[in-house]
Amino acid sequence: MKLKHIWIVFNKELKDIVRDKKTLFSSILAPIIIIPILMTIVGGSTQKMTQEMYEDITVALTKNSDTESARNFLNSLAELDENIIVADPVDDPWQAINDKEVKLVIELENGFEEKLKNSEPINLTLIYDNSLARSGGAVGTFQATIDRLNTALAVEKLNALGINPDILSLVNVERQNIARTKDGNQFLMMILPMMIALLVAVGGIPAATDLVAGEKERMTLEPLLTTRSSRMSILIGKYLTINLFSFASVISTLAGMVLAYVINPAALSLGQGEIGGFSVEPLAFVLSLLITLLMGMTFSGIQLAISTYARSFKEGQTYLSLLIFAVMIPAYSTMMIMPNDIQPHMFVLPIMNTISAFKLILGGVVNYAELVMATISSIVYVILALLLAAWMFSKEKFMFRS
Amino acid sequence: MIELFNLSKRFGNLNAVHSLSFTVRKGEIFGLIGENGAGKTTTLRMLATMLSPTSGTAVLSGYDIVKEPEKVRGKVGILFGGESGLYDRLTVAENIRYFGELNDISIDEINERTKMLADTFGMNDFLHKRAGKLSKGMRQKAAFARAIIHNPDILLLDEPTTGLDVSAIREVQNFILEQKRQGKTVLFSSHTMSEIEKLCDRIAIIHKGKLVAIGTIDELRQQNQNLSLEELFVRLVGEEHEA
Ligand SMILES: Nc1ncnc2c1ncn2[C@@H]1O[C@H](COP(=O)(O)OP(=O)(O)OP(=O)(O)O)[C@@H](O)[C@H]1O
Ligand SMILES: [Mg+2]
Repeated sequence: MKLKHIWIVFNKELKDIVRDKKTLFSSILAPIIIIPILMTIVGGSTQKMTQEMYEDITVALTKNSDTESARNFLNSLAELDENIIVADPVDDPWQAINDKEVKLVIELENGFEEKLKNSEPINLTLIYDNSLARSGGAVGTFQATIDRLNTALAVEKLNALGINPDILSLVNVERQNIARTKDGNQFLMMILPMMIALLVAVGGIPAATDLVAGEKERMTLEPLLTTRSSRMSILIGKYLTINLFSFASVISTLAGMVLAYVINPAALSLGQGEIGGFSVEPLAFVLSLLITLLMGMTFSGIQLAISTYARSFKEGQTYLSLLIFAVMIPAYSTMMIMPNDIQPHMFVLPIMNTISAFKLILGGVVNYAELVMATISSIVYVILALLLAAWMFSKEKFMFRS
Repeated sequence: MIELFNLSKRFGNLNAVHSLSFTVRKGEIFGLIGENGAGKTTTLRMLATMLSPTSGTAVLSGYDIVKEPEKVRGKVGILFGGESGLYDRLTVAENIRYFGELNDISIDEINERTKMLADTFGMNDFLHKRAGKLSKGMRQKAAFARAIIHNPDILLLDEPTTGLDVSAIREVQNFILEQKRQGKTVLFSSHTMSEIEKLCDRIAIIHKGKLVAIGTIDELRQQNQNLSLEELFVRLVGEEHEA
């Protein structure tokens, strides 16, 4: 193995791939452009949806229960909550809700006003469509308003009886949220590690496909193997190129996310709340970056091995795209896990160790023993993957499979 | 010079090349002929050190393919298949340079030889154009240059004219003759009898991995009632079939 040959191969592959507009675009340029657009759109629409659930809650009576007193009752509700808007009575609740005329429809029993006056319970039927976020989501706000009305009526009654209405709520709850991170961070903790893991795993695929399977197809592999360069030098040169591309695609994705954040801070959490207030120790941050790089190196090795196995470019593409599923399984299965719930074994399993390390950092709870465990296991995987690639590259039955 | 000593290759149960022993003399054009699957490509791949022999060996320019594969590679230039096998996104000069560098040739020498080869093959007009944008004929020339940038003693060509049009075939044949003139040893495989007759000093006929006949074409014809090359090929290969 000669450094000079490795360098020559690396240089040539880099030049070759950089000139391939397709690969360059899909692995580097696309994330910077597409991610901000996607996140802004999704973030914006989530924000809009949340707004719809809490604001402009249009409520109508059914035609059946449309009486003077029912209208008055509804108006009194609207006075309690400014978000509630009274709409004209409707014939067909389902039609009205689906035509966006109203979000909720209510039906009141006959003679309810008499019963209320006598402090007897009445029935109010709330009609909504849970399959529509704007209708189903409005139920909570409406219910809270009814609760307030109930309390107000009770207070009135107790006052009339000369009893202190405080007995209605003897226990007062005062909420203190001591989460170190903002609401949006929670979301980021679920999504970001998963995304990074996926990207690290797929970023090198276009390069890897081209670098061995592509050479077989173009029949350049044979002359290449007949140069004085050893096979290992060729392999390492190609390995480094794939690595560079997988890192570059991660970096361009992160850049895309930063750009999305700059355009609209809420976009990054897809409208799930504010993000910020991270305090990460530099060493912990460096360790998690290292773990990510190591995962990239592991996958570059695996991709190189798969590309070596493939007979043609197409075959390589097919096998390599299956790799995405291999990453999705651990990535999705750990998505909902929060930093405090990560089990020790997750710091040594492949892919999961990278995701876990990132969650730890984003959650602000740094445990160095676990980070070191993730680092060491990652190094082991890098070596195994590279050995696999080297072994396959040295085997005639894979290199000249027919 | 190329010397084969019981060179053999098995793929599972298949004896793709079976104990081949013959010598290709220095400066000679030597033809390897045989039916599909006879073992030509496998033999050439072993000589180029891409495949290692199951048993036996070969010595090229004094270097053993098993013991000193890297030194062998420095002495050998290859052109496998009718397709030229260039990197499309690199220019002709970059393609040539890549193979020169990997063969440990200094940049100065690569530049000098590239210039010389560009003159010889008439490549000056497209030396700095990307290989993918060139015509088949131009690519063919670039592939020749790539194969001999390191000035190898020996050229191994596997069906170099397959799939080419008439004028491209002539280019290849002229290239082979020119290499002989420069004292290089050329071992090439072909299915085209007329081409073999036109170019080869000596030939070897192999069948199912085994050597069936070797000699000059005249010698082989004399031994076989002055049959034409094609007839004697069919006969030799056919006899082996029945045996
Ligand atoms: N990598 C391989 N693995 C298994 N069998 C192989 C491999 N390469 C070649 N063979 C088999 O070895 C035998 C010889 O093949 P080879 O390619 O050397 O023949 P050839 O003379 O070049 O044929 P053709 O004229 O078709 O090119 C064939 O039966 C082929 O199927
Ligand atoms: Mg062949």
